[in-house]
Amino acid sequence: MKQKQQWFKYVALFFIPALVLGVSAGVFAAEVKIGALNDVTGATSDVGKDYALGIAEAIQYVNDNGGVNGKPIKLYQFDYGYRIPEALTKYKLFKRLGAVAVLGWGTGDTEALSPTITKDKMPYVSASYSAHLTNPKKTPFNLFAATDYSTNARAAITAWFDTRWKKHPDYGKRKPKFVCSYHFAHPYCSAPIKAIKDQAQILGFEIGPDQNVSLVAIDAKSQVLAMKDYGADLVWHGNTTMSVSATVRDAFSLGLKADHIVNCWGFDENLPRLAGKAAEGVMGAPRCAFFGEDVKNMDKVVEYAKKYNPGVPLEKRLTHTVGAWANVMALWEAMNRADKAGDLTGEGILKKGFETLRNYDVGLGVAPLTYTPTDHRISGTVSIYEIKNGKFHVVERVDLKSRWPEKWEKEWLGW
Amino acid sequence: MQRKSMFLAVISMVAVVMFMAGCAGMTAKPTEKNFKAPTVTLSHVEVQTYWGWWFFSNKIKPAKGKAGNYGAPLDLAFIFEITNPNDFPVKMEKFQFTVGFEDFDVNTVLSNEAMWIPAGKTNQIRFHSIQDARQTQLSLLVTGGLKLKESGKSFWDMLEKWWTQIPDFSFPVHVRGGSAIFKADGVMKSVSFNYTFP
Repeated sequence: MKQKQQWFKYVALFFIPALVLGVSAGVFAAEVKIGALNDVTGATSDVGKDYALGIAEAIQYVNDNGGVNGKPIKLYQFDYGYRIPEALTKYKLFKRLGAVAVLGWGTGDTEALSPTITKDKMPYVSASYSAHLTNPKKTPFNLFAATDYSTNARAAITAWFDTRWKKHPDYGKRKPKFVCSYHFAHPYCSAPIKAIKDQAQILGFEIGPDQNVSLVAIDAKSQVLAMKDYGADLVWHGNTTMSVSATVRDAFSLGLKADHIVNCWGFDENLPRLAGKAAEGVMGAPRCAFFGEDVKNMDKVVEYAKKYNPGVPLEKRLTHTVGAWANVMALWEAMNRADKAGDLTGEGILKKGFETLRNYDVGLGVAPLTYTPTDHRISGTVSIYEIKNGKFHVVERVDLKSRWPEKWEKEWLGW
Repeated sequence: MQRKSMFLAVISMVAVVMFMAGCAGMTAKPTEKNFKAPTVTLSHVEVQTYWGWWFFSNKIKPAKGKAGNYGAPLDLAFIFEITNPNDFPVKMEKFQFTVGFEDFDVNTVLSNEAMWIPAGKTNQIRFHSIQDARQTQLSLLVTGGLKLKESGKSFWDMLEKWWTQIPDFSFPVHVRGGSAIFKADGVMKSVSFNYTFP
């Protein structure tokens, strides 16, 4: 009898824990929580929706490939409609949920959140590539896997000078005339203004009056006429695609003879579609490859777009998906490194993750990533593209760091 | 003591029989071949909460709070039916679609919440699409601005029409580019869908 009782005890000892563990295995599986703020309904939704799709697809890829050293990522992705109060509210939610990092969006909300995320030691990988976020002395937890707006603007104006102005009949006879066209009140649009004007002066340009073109403009005739009156040779556009295409179209129809260079959020596959002939010759710094371009890891981007968003035709996908992947790939590597070092905290992800990356190649047409404790600019080399027959072609790779080493090192960080 | 032993023996037998029965009821392992794609059907669209039509510019002094460009919110609920035709449960991991009013996309609904659908059953799920008139004005301009310009329509006319006529659904509300991701034991199926209501 005693033997039977013993047997029953063994059975109970075996089955009860097995039952409990079996039921609760899912509950105890470690997850790495990440928040994502996206704009799919607001003033930048023309580019924000594609970026949001890219974030979700890249996280799926990460999870299909083992997550963070075996721990899957749980993504909390929200639309905030490009409204800063909404972004601040959602950030508080991410903190309550226990997110270890945030994939953010716009310049306004990223810069507004910067003091908070610094205090919270929350790595914040944004789609705002504002140079204001690259100096770790001021914004240590702000990061992104792209060359910043100011570096891109300096490179674009330099490439135009090298490839177009030097062939102009007036080269050497007069200064090229330059104007900026952007929405003054938006931090994204105005972030690189100081840098591009500085570069214009370095290259010996004459700088004309800025033109205030709304981020939601569908008509920019009065501003284009002002550019024409000034006799602009070159216009820098700081808005997103819809507004840029409206301005370029008006410039074409009103006979403005100037060339155009565009910031990355206005220089995508929709620009030639919307602006047609007017987009021919437009130059820009897309900060990564275009969707489907023949570069390392693009096959994965296309595969996951097909697999996870089969309802969105591939021909409608944009370079912003690729930009989203670059940010996710950089964060993934940083988290893997921090986790291996046993420190998957905000500070660990920054110090033992991001700031250990040296020429880390994510492919995707992004410059190799280097982040140091004193400089979060990933690279000084920028590929400048132009539109020819509706397609994007590289015209020059501008290496600012080699060309102006002292300025790069001592002057240009953080603006 | 003997009774107690008998009782324990019977309980053990029952547990073993139930365990075996449970195992017997288990279906084949999901594979690429036997995993049938679940179906996603739009049941209907509701105006979840209605605030009417209004817009205040930032030039209007509010009774309380700060002035701003504020438009009436619009909260639409999209009720979907998701049917699992398999003889094993499947997990829905992601659900996403774009909301279109007439020819214009006005919102994208994203959900990463997981939901299990039992074998052979249909679940109903409600997704909210919330936006205000200001947000939609901006979205309309940046995603459909040139189309709007070519059609000769003003965005105010469009917004007023949509906000005032939505209780009657007198214009088509589209679900575009929808996709849902289903998984069963590591096997994945994606389903795309498009609907128009009414």
